[in-house]
Amino acid sequence: MNRRNFLLSTGAGIVGGALFTRGVDPLFAAPPPPQAVWVENGEPAQLLAAALKEMGGITRFISRGDVVVVKPNMGWDRAPQFAANTNPDLIAAVIHECFNAGAKTVKVFDRTCNNPLRCYTNSQIEEKARAAGAEVTQIRENRFVDKAINGEVVKEWSVYKDYLEADKVINVPIAKHHSLSRVTLGMKNLMGVLGGNRGDIHNEFNKKIVDIDRTILPSLTIIDAYRILTANGPVGGNLAHVKQARTLIMSPCIVCADYLALDLFGLKVEDVGVVSEALKRGLNKFDVKSLNVKRVRLS
Amino acid sequence: MEKLRRVVQVGFLAFFVILFLIARYPYSGKMEADLFLRFSPLLPLFHFIQDLSLSWVLWPALVILVATPFLGRFFCGWICPLGTTIDAASKIVKSPSNRVSGKWEKLRFLKFALLVACILLAMFSVHVWGYLDPLSIFNRALTVVFYPLGTLFVNQTLLASTKVPFLETPAFYVYDLFKASVMPEMQAHPQQFFWIALFIGAILGAEKLSRRFWCRNVCPAGAWLGFLAQFRMFERIVGEACPICNKCQTECKMNAIPTGDVKHTSKVECIDCFNCGAVCPPKINAITYRWRWKPYHTPVDFTRRQLIRTTAGGAIALGMLSVGLKNRDAKDRQVRPPGALPEDQFADKCIRCQECVRICASNGGCLQPDGIQTTVLDLWLPVAVMREGYCEYNCNLCGQVCPTDAIMPITLEQKQHTPIGLAHFDKNHCIPYAQNSDCIVCEEHCPTPDKAIKFESKEVRLRDGNTMMVKYPFVLRELCIGCGICETKCPLPGQSAVFVTTENQRRAGVPLLQPQDQPASPYG
Repeated sequence: MNRRNFLLSTGAGIVGGALFTRGVDPLFAAPPPPQAVWVENGEPAQLLAAALKEMGGITRFISRGDVVVVKPNMGWDRAPQFAANTNPDLIAAVIHECFNAGAKTVKVFDRTCNNPLRCYTNSQIEEKARAAGAEVTQIRENRFVDKAINGEVVKEWSVYKDYLEADKVINVPIAKHHSLSRVTLGMKNLMGVLGGNRGDIHNEFNKKIVDIDRTILPSLTIIDAYRILTANGPVGGNLAHVKQARTLIMSPCIVCADYLALDLFGLKVEDVGVVSEALKRGLNKFDVKSLNVKRVRLS
Repeated sequence: MEKLRRVVQVGFLAFFVILFLIARYPYSGKMEADLFLRFSPLLPLFHFIQDLSLSWVLWPALVILVATPFLGRFFCGWICPLGTTIDAASKIVKSPSNRVSGKWEKLRFLKFALLVACILLAMFSVHVWGYLDPLSIFNRALTVVFYPLGTLFVNQTLLASTKVPFLETPAFYVYDLFKASVMPEMQAHPQQFFWIALFIGAILGAEKLSRRFWCRNVCPAGAWLGFLAQFRMFERIVGEACPICNKCQTECKMNAIPTGDVKHTSKVECIDCFNCGAVCPPKINAITYRWRWKPYHTPVDFTRRQLIRTTAGGAIALGMLSVGLKNRDAKDRQVRPPGALPEDQFADKCIRCQECVRICASNGGCLQPDGIQTTVLDLWLPVAVMREGYCEYNCNLCGQVCPTDAIMPITLEQKQHTPIGLAHFDKNHCIPYAQNSDCIVCEEHCPTPDKAIKFESKEVRLRDGNTMMVKYPFVLRELCIGCGICETKCPLPGQSAVFVTTENQRRAGVPLLQPQDQPASPYG
């Protein structure tokens, strides 16, 4: 084989290989799915269905036989209309989608701030998630395992075993005002699977959250902004602070989802330390400057 | 009869335990969990002394009191859950027969002495009888000793078995079942465990000395019922066939059959257990029970001299309880449950039954049996220990199950607007103040619709010359309801840097105030 033939055949091989993998005619292939979806003006289940349609379906994230953890925020003894906990209908819809994709089990839990029995009941998540077929269990103190974090500040922290052992994790926070971190979104929601004295996370909060989240990133983040809490967060308690945003934000990148959600509150990245810290440390999967966002407004 | 009595005893015990178990969130109130505490025969007596009136809510006790002059102390033998527990203990420790334990007969007067002393003190508005009330003792022991011990044991056993590989699935299955049916809440760790365990331990352990030692010699409820039963019409009749084998005498639970006179029964002591009929040899069967319209009388074992001594002793106790050192230092940490009456009335009405402690949403966290703080009678009053657990914003269950309304049943709305105390910051320990570092976990958890803990952002200069914004928390007196979640959640390892004191508390009885009506100063 001379040099010319070698180059020719290599070239042909590369082109052929490319054609083989991309399909015969790359011009007619579907465009790549968006990196994030913003859907507004709908009921929780409609918002979810529209967002997943844009994202290319739940099967992109959940495979047959998966053990899935759906992580809502149900940390407070508040009814859904107070916007302190994730919308229970959205959680039920997410669980249905997981089962449609063939998930083996879906687990729902949260380490609550108020009395756990009251939170599970009054958030209505326990009831609706059970009806959707999920395993809703109280946190068992003996199921936290120490996990090496090796971050800038946090070296190790205890994390809930069921979370670590899950095949896929869908993080479903609610968008809320928060006094310390300004807003609480996807990244802070993962605190609900942490053990130990979580109050200790509150100084050097941004660094610690990014340290820990780096090791426990979810497969998909769905930010519930059907109702958002604009003040007195994260507990709320005053309906005047609840805004009907009727919005849902979805992204496989937790930081990008949080970044987009800042718009709901009219905030900039530099206002929210934990998002800017995450971007600085490169926790984001996609470049937020050139983020491919699909925006849908339902009628 | 004796078999029926056993069935009824176990039935009532099971009923009372079920009422105890339903006293937890979610509590519908359809079945009143405190019903069994209102079986106490002492309640109407002492409430009458206190208020000169009787309340229909005490109907179970009133029914018992009305029936006792006719039937005798059937409450002690058939209903009292403490009595049934004592009977069970007696089986375990193997109590001696009356041949051996008869010598304790001389202590019988003690229960009358205690009853008289309690009445005497109550007339001077010092209520100590609740410590000795059998229903209260039973519930206290269940709440503080038996239930936490039992759940701890079951929990730990099941969780330990989950570590064994092939047992993991079944152990978790049983664990889930246990958590769903018996113990949905967290493990309770009540303070005063040791002393209350000692108290119930002594009562049950005394079975080694004689059967029903407590009921024979100490129980003031037994004394009160015995006093009422002196002329009871339901009598034990001993037929001519009796060969005087003395079996009924030696086996009598209460030693109510006098030695050498088996044909009579002390109506003051007999608890209608019908053991005498059961032990009477079947061929002879001399013992029958019958109504007699002209009953004989048996006197109360309490001489005039003993009465005078008891009165003197009561007066001394009254003095000791009233004069004793009252150190005000601890007063500010004695936060009482929402809806509690003003402190003096509260201490008078409370029977220390721990039903509020049992139902508290924090479960063995927030409400605890108090120790002796400023006076002796603080002992076992419910106190909110906020470092261990806080008062749940959307919960008002403690007032709903208080059998004596020492804690008034207030609505959730009233509860959320009635401060039980006020939060204070200890700036020497609080992380932002002491370390110039962010925290405000307290502010985050504050549940009022307008947060009672606010913060101020201030710029601080760091050692490297840079500046940083730090959030410094503070309390707004007019918004704080003293729920104490700030104190529970403070991330410091030991003492909390924010703590609740009784300052600004509003007690029930004085009209419950709306927030806008609250005076700005506690002195106003």
